[in-house]
Amino acid sequence: MLFGILLLTLDTYTSVFDISKTEVSKVIIPVQILSNFPYQVKDWVSMNTTSRTQLEQKNVSLEKERLILLGKLQRSAELAAENLRLRQLLNATELLMQSVLVTEVIGVSPNPANHFVTVNRGKVDGVYLGQPVLDEEGLMGQVIEVFDNYSQVLLITDLNHALPVQVLRNGLRSVAEGSSDYNQMSLRFVSPTVDIQEGDELVSSGLGGRFPVGYPVGTVSSIIQKPGEKFMDIKLKPSAKLDRSRHLLLVFTLKDGDMIRAVNEQR
Amino acid sequence: MNSDDTLRPLIAMLLVAMVLQFFPISGSWLHLKPNFFLLIMIAWVLYFPERYGIEFAALTGLLTDLVLGSAIGYHVLIFSISGLILIFFHRVVVYLQLIQRVVLVFMLVIMVAFMEAGMNSMLDKPLFLDGVFWLGIISALCWIPLDKLVSQFYSHQN
Repeated sequence: MLFGILLLTLDTYTSVFDISKTEVSKVIIPVQILSNFPYQVKDWVSMNTTSRTQLEQKNVSLEKERLILLGKLQRSAELAAENLRLRQLLNATELLMQSVLVTEVIGVSPNPANHFVTVNRGKVDGVYLGQPVLDEEGLMGQVIEVFDNYSQVLLITDLNHALPVQVLRNGLRSVAEGSSDYNQMSLRFVSPTVDIQEGDELVSSGLGGRFPVGYPVGTVSSIIQKPGEKFMDIKLKPSAKLDRSRHLLLVFTLKDGDMIRAVNEQR
Repeated sequence: MNSDDTLRPLIAMLLVAMVLQFFPISGSWLHLKPNFFLLIMIAWVLYFPERYGIEFAALTGLLTDLVLGSAIGYHVLIFSISGLILIFFHRVVVYLQLIQRVVLVFMLVIMVAFMEAGMNSMLDKPLFLDGVFWLGIISALCWIPLDKLVSQFYSHQN
């Protein structure tokens, strides 16, 4: 027991075990892949047992969806170019644009207190520490460990994660923190006098430079104002399907020059 | 049966436990996943307390810390206390029926959940006590085949 207390104290107050934890992570990844095998078999079976009619229906639906998205993309390319011109006129700070890389979740943390996933992209794919990760609904988290072919992503709901956000409706800034619950985050340091209401959408504010601006983070699900408290107790429901998404997007940021080229290429 | 004869199945069981521990489960169900390392520790300490005693409990705890990514020492402490309790009562426990041992495991799992909650509270982390009753039930059910398997080794030993 004394040995346990000693180890716990050393791990809590020093970083002596950090290197050994990284080495253990390397060893554990093959086990995670092995544990994920039944899901891969299930995917393979479902892919090989889908009927031709079902595939045709899916194809028609995807084609419709593609046409709608292409229409939206034309409009967004025009807006992006206009936005860039206006920012240049105002001498605003550099504007960032992102390209993405699709990745698949191959393992999840077995500990309910730690919210991270392992994805099948690593150094060889250009993944870097701190890289933002999205799913189709919103921000998922950031890369915290990069191996040659795999990476670990800390989710935004992890207790140790904090993310600068702003309310889409009025630009109010705050910090969204994880709470070790996949369906809940909390907003810190919001005064009772500010304009925020249930249902407000929050997006990443870009402050701190880690996450790009404007990606959906969550929606305000409850606001509790206790008498005598300096700040409100605000809960968010994350936009991303943090415990269900299997295909994620790693965001690569291109800076100004690349963006101008990208906009020109889109024209 | 010498020490090597029990070491190999024990290592195999720990490897299987590791794979089961990583088996992906959706977030809300994750709290109900049994700690397979704890179950293995209980089984071996219960049947072979002279060979796999408190040191084994602490080592299994260390392995659990490394696999689950929890603070090093967290499970070492909890498993050591659980191992101590098992060793203390083992002379009584070996004479129990299977169903009584299942009830014992159920109570031990709940006790471990409360110990974890107490430590989380000290470390300023969430308590995770929702569904602790069901965690105990699922763990006790998972322990039945494990008990039968380890009791086989125990029978060979004696």
